[in-house]
Amino acid sequence: MKGFWILVSANAKDIIRDRMSIFWFVAFPLLFILLFGAIFSQDQDSAKFSVGLVIEDKGPAGTAIQQAFRSVPVFELHQGSRDKELKALKNGKRLIVVVVPGNQQPGIPGAAKPLEIPIYYDPGKDTTTQILITSVKEILTEIERRIAGTPRLLVVKPVRTQVSTLKTIDYLLPGILAMALMQLGLFGALNFVSLRERKIIRRLGATPLPRSMMLWSEILVRLAMAMVQTILIITLGYYAFGVTVTGNIFLVMAMVMLGAVVFVSLGYLLINFTKTEESAQGLIQLVQFPMMFLSGIFFPLEMMPSFLKPVVNLLPLTYLGDLLRHVMVGLPTAYGFWTDTAVLAGWFVVTLGLAVRFFRWD
Amino acid sequence: MDSIVITNLRKYYGPVKAVDGITFTVKQGEVFGMLGPNGAGKTTTVETIVGLTKRDSGAIQVLGLDPVRDPIGVKSRIGVQLQTAAMFPRLTVKETVQLYANFYPRSMGIMDAIALVDLTDKAKVQTLKLSGGQLQRLSVALALIGDNDIIFLDEPTTGLDPQARRSLWDVIRRMREKGKTVFMTTHYMDEAERLCDRVAVIDHGKVIALDSPQELIRRHFREKAIEFRQPRLTNDQKLGKLPGVQRVQVEEETVILYSSEVGQTIPALLKYAEETNSPVDDLIIRTATLEDVFLELTGRRLRE
Repeated sequence: MKGFWILVSANAKDIIRDRMSIFWFVAFPLLFILLFGAIFSQDQDSAKFSVGLVIEDKGPAGTAIQQAFRSVPVFELHQGSRDKELKALKNGKRLIVVVVPGNQQPGIPGAAKPLEIPIYYDPGKDTTTQILITSVKEILTEIERRIAGTPRLLVVKPVRTQVSTLKTIDYLLPGILAMALMQLGLFGALNFVSLRERKIIRRLGATPLPRSMMLWSEILVRLAMAMVQTILIITLGYYAFGVTVTGNIFLVMAMVMLGAVVFVSLGYLLINFTKTEESAQGLIQLVQFPMMFLSGIFFPLEMMPSFLKPVVNLLPLTYLGDLLRHVMVGLPTAYGFWTDTAVLAGWFVVTLGLAVRFFRWD
Repeated sequence: MDSIVITNLRKYYGPVKAVDGITFTVKQGEVFGMLGPNGAGKTTTVETIVGLTKRDSGAIQVLGLDPVRDPIGVKSRIGVQLQTAAMFPRLTVKETVQLYANFYPRSMGIMDAIALVDLTDKAKVQTLKLSGGQLQRLSVALALIGDNDIIFLDEPTTGLDPQARRSLWDVIRRMREKGKTVFMTTHYMDEAERLCDRVAVIDHGKVIALDSPQELIRRHFREKAIEFRQPRLTNDQKLGKLPGVQRVQVEEETVILYSSEVGQTIPALLKYAEETNSPVDDLIIRTATLEDVFLELTGRRLRE
């Protein structure tokens, strides 16, 4: 048993001294968090839309429209001449430009010809501009209603549903942790391929140490790294972006370990179908890369096109992300807590069984 | 007392008969050498004895234990150096030796083992920064660290410079003085000749001769060897009729005359060469070696 612990420490030293592996296991997920954290650090509620307003009408209608636009909180309002604002639109500095033309006799109720208010927009940003155009129409209708004195029949009152507000980074952080656990499990297995390729495993086979000890020591080191990774990611999320883990930390750790063993055994399964470190790396990337983008780590599962759903529903990372979002920040699960746990446990049992069945020492 | 008893050992890899029914015994406290060209079956033999490769048939006893039935028992009593010197790349020399020391029931001092193979000044260097020769020596240290009764060395001096080779020979002699049994393979006949108490000559998976180096040479050659190059004389039957010549061996363009009377053979040879207008190049007179024994037994040289 003394030999085993010395082997664990030898393994740990060998891995920790490898700067590349430290980059992939520690720096890479942290960089992801910093990057996404920076992109989504503003609460999306406070995001403003750049709107250009050109008032050529010096009459009361112009003033009324100007006041109405100013009172809309999500508009970042820019006022100026028609030329200046249209130029800004072309340069991508405005989403829409609303022009209230002058020298007309506007807004008289019952007048045959209504005042035409052109809205210039960039068709390249279709979704956002269509929403903005609808908003502008709404504002103008409201002004029209006031001028005409029509009574209001329906009133919309927006109500927030969530008690504690969740930011995009709250959604992303558990996903990035899940991704990091996948990288650790899958790419970590490459270490064994390298030891196998260099016949270090064979050399250890000539010592009285049972060679399964070699594998157990690696798995132990890997799980310890998973724990360190979890702590680093949670700490960074908290101090840099205020992501608070609201769930039970022991439950979180238990689920992290479940995820880690799934991907560790998947890694040890995959490496049996290749001989060299290079080919093993290729095979692992082939599995890892689609999984990273199809598992709802970076964007919500509802956004997946329906033809991909069957694939999405097979991937273990989908369930780990779903589960961690639930136990860490309290987001509702897409599949249910027990389904997530059961699917992951199933993946573990199957990959472990296959890894044992196909395992290659030489 | 016998340390290793091998009876009719066989190991085939498909059609390749790597080890084809070999039988021999290694006595306690001797340096036993297995001499043969690359691919003769030396490494397969070693790896089968130490329990890394499963045999097809035959019997193996290491200190009375079977490596298949009691692998841990065998492995904890032997030290092994394998041909591919493989270490954890980012552990230092000292850490590597320390790691292996912990695998065995007892061990010699870490720094003593490192000093034995002249790596003291590299003790704190990561193994990935070692040269091939230094790795090879570290790998020998790992075979010694367990202070085991039997030490297996598979081509321990391959890739070493002459000075390191000699220093390793001293280490092996010291092991014999301590009463250890050393089982080594080599394709250097001078190494086998100088170091080994007994040598098994192996070719195509079979033992073709087994005795002390001196006895092997004496049995096959009482003569001295006269070696020279001359393509035109390689097929000349008359060379065998020169005075004193017992036997003729031809190896490509090189002719070897084994003569019991060198004083008579040389003048006759030079005269004959002049008469036939085929002057001889690179003329050497030497005593017979294991190389000659191998040539005699197989018709080939050890190293090609």
